[in-house]
Amino acid sequence: MAPNYSTDEALGDALREYFAAEAPSLRAPSNLWDSLEGRLEEPRRMPRLRRKVLAAASRYWFPTLATGGAVAAGAVLAVWATSANLGEPQVVEKFVTQEVIKEVPVETIVTREVIKQVPVETVVTKVVVKEVPVEAVRMVEVEKVVTKEVIKEVAVEKSVVRESSAAYSRAPTAAPPAPATTRPPATTFQDNRRQPVVATVDDAVSTFSLDTDRTSYQLALNWARQGYDIEPDSVRAEEWINAFNYQYAQPADAWGFAITSDVVAHPLDERKHLVRLGFQAAEVPDDRPLNVTLVLDASGSMRDGNRVDIARAAAETIRQSLRPQDRVAVVHFTSDVIHDLTVEHQAPDHSAVWNSIRSLSPRGSTNVQAGLNLGVQLADRARRERPSAYNYVILMSDGVANVDATNPFAILESAYDRNAGNPLRLITVGVGISNYNDVLLEQLAQHGNGWYRYLDDTGQAQATFSRANWLALSTPFADQTRAQVTWDPDVVKSWRIIGYENRVTSDASFAEDRKEFAELPSGAATTVFYEVELHDGVRRGEDLKLGRVELRWVVPETGQSRSQQVEVTGRSNLGFGSHEADPLLRLGGIVALAADRYSSLPRGADYGAAGVSTDLAILQEELRALAGQLGGLDAYRDFGFLLERMAERAYTQAPPRSPSGYSR
Amino acid sequence: MTDEQAVLRCQDGDREAFHHLVERYQDLLYRTAMLMTGSRALAEELVQGALRSAWRGIHGFQHGCPVKPWLMRYLAREGVSQRRRRPSAGVVPSSPGQPDDSDEAQHERQDMRQALAGLDADQRHILVLHYFADLTVPQLAKALDAGEDSINTRLSRALGHLRERLEAQGAQEVANNGS
Repeated sequence: MAPNYSTDEALGDALREYFAAEAPSLRAPSNLWDSLEGRLEEPRRMPRLRRKVLAAASRYWFPTLATGGAVAAGAVLAVWATSANLGEPQVVEKFVTQEVIKEVPVETIVTREVIKQVPVETVVTKVVVKEVPVEAVRMVEVEKVVTKEVIKEVAVEKSVVRESSAAYSRAPTAAPPAPATTRPPATTFQDNRRQPVVATVDDAVSTFSLDTDRTSYQLALNWARQGYDIEPDSVRAEEWINAFNYQYAQPADAWGFAITSDVVAHPLDERKHLVRLGFQAAEVPDDRPLNVTLVLDASGSMRDGNRVDIARAAAETIRQSLRPQDRVAVVHFTSDVIHDLTVEHQAPDHSAVWNSIRSLSPRGSTNVQAGLNLGVQLADRARRERPSAYNYVILMSDGVANVDATNPFAILESAYDRNAGNPLRLITVGVGISNYNDVLLEQLAQHGNGWYRYLDDTGQAQATFSRANWLALSTPFADQTRAQVTWDPDVVKSWRIIGYENRVTSDASFAEDRKEFAELPSGAATTVFYEVELHDGVRRGEDLKLGRVELRWVVPETGQSRSQQVEVTGRSNLGFGSHEADPLLRLGGIVALAADRYSSLPRGADYGAAGVSTDLAILQEELRALAGQLGGLDAYRDFGFLLERMAERAYTQAPPRSPSGYSR
Repeated sequence: MTDEQAVLRCQDGDREAFHHLVERYQDLLYRTAMLMTGSRALAEELVQGALRSAWRGIHGFQHGCPVKPWLMRYLAREGVSQRRRRPSAGVVPSSPGQPDDSDEAQHERQDMRQALAGLDADQRHILVLHYFADLTVPQLAKALDAGEDSINTRLSRALGHLRERLEAQGAQEVANNGS
């Protein structure tokens, strides 16, 4: 007889029974911990309340949660305030949005009567975090934002409360070196001049090299997690944009790209639109063998933290990812090459190779040039012996070159290969937080036919160079890849490219196959955002044509030049917050603008520091609006965390302007 | 070492204490993940992801709360992000029936298995989390960033779909037997 499932209770009981019967024989894999352990990242530290309050104060209104009778996974920050003119203490209620709340320790202290306005002369004396039912959370408009000095007092008061609270989980005893207002010591960056707004009547053509690096984003995330400020000069917007996967369609042809364009209203400037261009390379299988030359930095600065472990893990993972037909060589360098440890090209499972990798240990000073010189010599010899192979030179270093040439171009000049037919491809892998030279590694890779990655732990090293990733990354798909956008002057009044500062090139260079243009591996995607202003008379509607984009590249296998072009089209009437807009398009727009505005600090370019502060606060709201659709993505949460830190930093420099005043 | 002590040690950065917690809960997490995804690879990915996030969020653990639902919450969230990453994720596994089962019991389990396999992944996940992992409605609401009403609605909708499937399969069998 068929069982009776007519009520939810009966069906629920049947499910319980079924699950209980189905599951008990299952055991977790015995190596679960082993594979987990290496991939554990540092626990997130409980952000200090000061940051939360700063972040809260940079917002002007606090949205209600969806209605429901539940106790919110949230809290209300109640601020006791006394006005100099009013003898009575008063309470201001502020709602702090959910993602913030998750990390605020919840203490149940009963608040006093709540008022809705902050008096002009506000002195904050006490902060209380309290769990409240959802229906108690109301939208509250705050007319005056408390001043920075006041916030400091809040932080002091709060720390007393926290220490006295047994309910608060204990702070980590081995605290990372994290004064919140510093940059990591002795790091080197370069402030790239931001690209200007260009009137189409003056110049309707924009030319740039594609890019797939994402290191600037990873560095920022790593610093923020360690409690450091994000250095505005370290922010290269294109690397932030390209750190996200926009899930573009695969190209129809295996030899080409899928080029997509989207247009959406600008979230910060109502006169403008954002245009996104996406370039998705096809995924191609490639069986050509590889010659890999590992150039490992064994200098004293690699002793910091666990950088040697990371470099060793990365080198060993690469070795394991290589196929029997591949060959690998190893070079260690300090003030000079360590000849005892040099291994010329061998099969990846040769014992000399893994012995050499295992022997990596730090000593002496850093002579990148000597290491690269020998690496290039070995690679060049291997290339002549096997002309059919692709050739990679992989430099792992913290980039602190201090002997001989320490300038990227001088290093390339002396060490680098000029054979355009089958080039050596230089991959730079950065390790370390402080005492780190970002410029050297980025420029070496850009001008060395390669790409640049940053690794912050051994787990990431293993993931980045896992066999599947490595196979895709090590299969070149397009060399010298560049794009040229030609805006229609009748439609577009002005345009500005976001990021790509050191990749924008002269329009004339588009016709030339130049080595500094980007090399893209199989399956790579590149995204670029433009801010554009349309002419007033342009018809608002569905199928707007703004211009065209052409892509040119060289096929690595044959050396042939190829090109592909499409029209730049989109809807001019698509609101940024519209549910019709692709959430990943919106996320990308937020990432692009946040990185762009932040990188203009401390001066803040035309926006001024306060304008940047305002823009970041608005972008935080836009990001929160995506929580329902993207909240489950790690990438979304990571970026939310970063954006919060950026907004705080901008706030400490200058609080936002009034909420209605968009930056111009 | 109690769970509470282990968590305190984890918060001091002690990975061995976390190892201890992992050993204690890994089978339970893995079983739950297998029922959610139906694939060993996806289940392992789910458990790994959940444990990594749990370690990262160890300072958010509220003392006095039990560890199991806290870990399960991470599994639930990881389920959501895995579905986004892999929209086509898995079907429910067909483990061999126990030898001493009566035919009828086996038959019912086969029906249930088939019906669950036909549900959308998020519906299957919520049923597993509630009826196997024993996450309560408020716990599910917290884990999935949703209101309790929404969780109740999702649960009853998932049960409704399951019932429809079971009924449709029953009708199909009757038809087959009749022919």
